[in-house]
Amino acid sequence: MHTEAIDPPGVQWLRVSPKYVTVRLVEWAIGNVLMLAVLSLPLIFVLLGWWRWPPLWLAITVPAVMLVLALWRLVLIPRQVRAIGYAERDDDLLIRRGIFFQRTMVVPYGRMQYVDVAVGPVERSLGLCTLKLHTASAGTNAQLPGLPSAEGARLREQLSARGEARLAGL
Amino acid sequence: MSLENSATESLPGKPEPSVDGGWNRVHPASPFVRGWVALAAVGFFFGRDAFERMLQGRDVLDPNLSGRVPWLLAGGAVVLLLTVGGFILSWYFTRYQVAEGYVRVNTGFLFKQQRQARLDRVQAIDIVQPLLARIFGLAELKFEVADAGESAVRLAYLPLDQAKQLRATILARAAGVVSGPETAEEIPEAPEHVVLSVPPSRLIGSLLLSEQTIGILAGAAVVVVVSVFTQNQTLFLALIPGILGIGAAYWNSFNKGYNFTAAISPDGIRLRYGLLDTQAQTLPPGRIQALMVTQPPLWRIFGWYRMHVNVAGYGVSGSTEGSARTMLLPVGMKSDVLRMMSLVLPDPGVEDPERVFTAGLEGLGPVGADPAHGDGFITTPRRARLLAPLGWRRNGFFATETALLIRSGRWWHTLVMVPHQRTQSMALHQGPWARRFGVADLVLHTTAGPVSPRVFQAGVEQAVELFDQQAARAREARKRQTSEQWLAQVAPQAPEVAAAMPEPPTQPEPPAQPTQNQTSQQEDRHDG
Repeated sequence: MHTEAIDPPGVQWLRVSPKYVTVRLVEWAIGNVLMLAVLSLPLIFVLLGWWRWPPLWLAITVPAVMLVLALWRLVLIPRQVRAIGYAERDDDLLIRRGIFFQRTMVVPYGRMQYVDVAVGPVERSLGLCTLKLHTASAGTNAQLPGLPSAEGARLREQLSARGEARLAGL
Repeated sequence: MSLENSATESLPGKPEPSVDGGWNRVHPASPFVRGWVALAAVGFFFGRDAFERMLQGRDVLDPNLSGRVPWLLAGGAVVLLLTVGGFILSWYFTRYQVAEGYVRVNTGFLFKQQRQARLDRVQAIDIVQPLLARIFGLAELKFEVADAGESAVRLAYLPLDQAKQLRATILARAAGVVSGPETAEEIPEAPEHVVLSVPPSRLIGSLLLSEQTIGILAGAAVVVVVSVFTQNQTLFLALIPGILGIGAAYWNSFNKGYNFTAAISPDGIRLRYGLLDTQAQTLPPGRIQALMVTQPPLWRIFGWYRMHVNVAGYGVSGSTEGSARTMLLPVGMKSDVLRMMSLVLPDPGVEDPERVFTAGLEGLGPVGADPAHGDGFITTPRRARLLAPLGWRRNGFFATETALLIRSGRWWHTLVMVPHQRTQSMALHQGPWARRFGVADLVLHTTAGPVSPRVFQAGVEQAVELFDQQAARAREARKRQTSEQWLAQVAPQAPEVAAAMPEPPTQPEPPAQPTQNQTSQQEDRHDG
């Protein structure tokens, strides 16, 4: 992946599994199809003549805008997944994400309080997992989704070992 | 569910009575003092009810009450008996012990809880005296560890002298000055040196000129205008509860900020304040995770500032108590601020700290094209001035050897300081607009509290450079310093002294030149 302007120079990013796109697609489908169905109800009622209040243009516009937004998000998913990257440096872990709203985060190993590995149903069927790092700060929202299970386990062990070696108090 | 041991951490297989010698109980009167507080709360509610009835021109008492008086009395008596019984039981089963590097507290008689906390994990110790406890000469001791929730250990209530003694013991042991199994009696309170105090007149002035007052004046203006237009006089009556509430808020701030005194001792920074309820906080060295100096617009007339801190144990509780505890200075002049900064950061890591801090407090970047060399602060580049039309010359950062200074706010002057070794993690953020103007935000993550450090709209190249350097600096600073057992490293001979001569108290440090002490202490630290 190409390096963006806010990334530290000379970092070789590791990418998450491309299969994570599937997980995101399922999440997208569940969220947006439900939302669209609910928002389309007024349109159906108006068309059936049960409801008088929302004028037809409004009843059409709202779900249409939602549909466009949902499709836009759908188109973005593969790029967003490609934009997730991480890099293990000697003393800290770098995590980046985002295309429009980019975020590059550095978590020192010595600051990690604990490491979570979470697996959802869709992820499990694809052999993926999500790694979460926790520091003493609630602001550290460091998540690495879509790691292959073996890589997730390796990373967890690696991070725990390095964290222990560089352990600092608060 | 088992009745035994619902504790988070239990004693490893230790039968309780065998170590009974070291176990203490809190003062027998303490449940009643707490109970009286509850009773006073009930009285307050009834009183307020009656007061509001009086205001509305009705009878003080509810007219339907008289027929039910005996039943009410009987019910009240039963409740009272149960409460008193519960008080006595809870007092009997609450015991504490400070030994072997731990403080242990056992509570509860149906659902027992045994809790132990490591002394060297202390983040802060508070001694609180609510009004009634103060009348009886009692005090509550709060021991904070880094879980950002409620206090890890609360001992309510102890006689004041005993509470102070216990605080000295805990701090001396946590600092690593005293080790070994001797009893608590021989550890003296660390000597302290008063650094500043806030005169009441300035406190009142600061309250009158605070943001709260601006809001109230604006609200009052709206009410007056509305009532003039609608010619509705009763609107003012509806305001009475609001006025009472505002008065209570002012009173609260005054009560909490009254007689504010800051002192330095080898145990750390001591803060004492309170008019009716008094509170004494001790923040051991290196426990302050981040610091913020703010100046509301109206305070600029008198050059006042206030300071807040993030301390891991205090958390972010929205209550007035929580906000008072994270207050390092309710109102002070610039010299006070600089003095407090020097206590929090004994080694500023820069040649001319006063100039740098002044630039951080009130400086503005140059209008010229080169943002890098005005007053040392690197401000938002000129190309992004449309993004921050007011703040672009003000938003800036400055990295010293030991801390990162972040300033922002053209009207609400703000200066945030994060010591390098306290940085948890960092993130660079850049949205589409920021990318268009070639700027990025750097967010530093710290423990929960009122301070959330963020460098606004720094130029991309400077932000990336800072991001990289800051990671390295934080790494170096962490290697240099550990915050636990803060005096053990500076006085390694102390345990031997204590062991050889148990009789004379081990004086941790002479009181003179406290700031100097702290500085040498940081420099002398061995690698962790």
